[in-house]
Amino acid sequence: MTKPQVSINAYCRTSQLLSHLRLLPIVAVITLLIGCSTNVTVNGDYPSALVARQPLSVGLVLNDSFNSYRFTSEKDNRQPVTMALGESQVQLFNRVFTDMFQSSATLKTLPTGQNTLDLMIVPEITEVQLATPMETQLNVYEVWLKYNLKVYDGNGQPVADWMMSAYGKTQSRFLKSDEEALNQATVMALRDAGARLLTGFQQIPEIRQWLANRQAPAKLSQRTER
Amino acid sequence: MRGALPWLLLCMLATSACGTSTRVDEFRPSSTLLPLNSDEKVVVVGRRHSGAYETDPDFINCIGNKLATRGQLSVMPEQQFLDSFYPWFEPRMAPLGLKRMGGMLEDPLIGKRVRELGIRYMIWVDGNIETTEKSGAISCAVAPGGGGCFGFSSWDKAANYEAIIWDLGKLGEKGRVQVDSKGSSYLLAVGAPIPFIARVQGEACEGIGTRLQSFFAPAGPGSP
Repeated sequence: MTKPQVSINAYCRTSQLLSHLRLLPIVAVITLLIGCSTNVTVNGDYPSALVARQPLSVGLVLNDSFNSYRFTSEKDNRQPVTMALGESQVQLFNRVFTDMFQSSATLKTLPTGQNTLDLMIVPEITEVQLATPMETQLNVYEVWLKYNLKVYDGNGQPVADWMMSAYGKTQSRFLKSDEEALNQATVMALRDAGARLLTGFQQIPEIRQWLANRQAPAKLSQRTER
Repeated sequence: MRGALPWLLLCMLATSACGTSTRVDEFRPSSTLLPLNSDEKVVVVGRRHSGAYETDPDFINCIGNKLATRGQLSVMPEQQFLDSFYPWFEPRMAPLGLKRMGGMLEDPLIGKRVRELGIRYMIWVDGNIETTEKSGAISCAVAPGGGGCFGFSSWDKAANYEAIIWDLGKLGEKGRVQVDSKGSSYLLAVGAPIPFIARVQGEACEGIGTRLQSFFAPAGPGSP
């Protein structure tokens, strides 16, 4: 009774081995594809900003699509690039808003109805463009990021819709890997986005108008008191 | 003797072929050496406003190290400086002229930070290194019994950099140094590839670092 059992087991093992061998070319192709692609989880440190804090209470709305944003290049004539940008851009926006405003809170969704916040800002990444070493002829990446910042007042009324672009480039020409070069270019682009936010936010005409309208009643009440 | 001939030729090629020529020019508005107190620092920063090239951070570090080790100057690392003043010296915001720098120093936050960190001189370095000419070809093959390469390739590199010294204490330009460095590198492959690399960027760093160092007064006994 045992002999047939052994032969059945041997048959099963052989067929399992054959099925595994059949998978070999697929595994090889997948390995090759992974080997030829560039996958980066963007990782950078963003410094504290040297700016005067605005006396405003601001809500920064970071939704799930922003938090877990991942860019995949779609061009067919170059090696695929996948870039997990979400975590790093959340880190940057949190840092910048903390330094920019007297009070800053991170929210998951835009609150409905009246609240204690002066402004609510919903950033969204609308476009990512890449120039790869194949195009630059060096181990140098160029990264363009385009953000759309929707600004609402405390009542949820739209105040401004700001398109903000940022640019970064690999600075060291002798980085060892593609991943390192792409990470450096993206961190530079995110630093540039932070610089645009810190210096350009108050220059948006709609924001300037809103700030002027906000300060006008305060000035009027001061004059009346005098 | 005959067996040593190829090696002799190879050594001659190695010593003569990949030479580098470097020219350093300078401009000094005054012959007085720049004073630096023990609590004052120098910072070397790369210009990165041009879209066509980036001044390599490694080159900036190389100059900073030369000033710190040979010149015995107190040098703040570039990245530490950029982070301390974020976002004011990012490529988009960095002042291109002294007038704008003066305006920035009038900002209470920036002026206070400059004084706190003791930054007296700022050295802007602008330029890059590029491959000007490339020729030759090398082919490699691998077979079950082994592999090897055969051929000859050469390339020329040219480095052009300019350094400008700004005095942040008295707000003025204190000097300029320009360096042009050229060199040819070779790759000879007879079985194994043998590189003869010209140290173009290294020579440029050496030239600019040594000349910049000569602008500053030697560190006194109380200096760091």
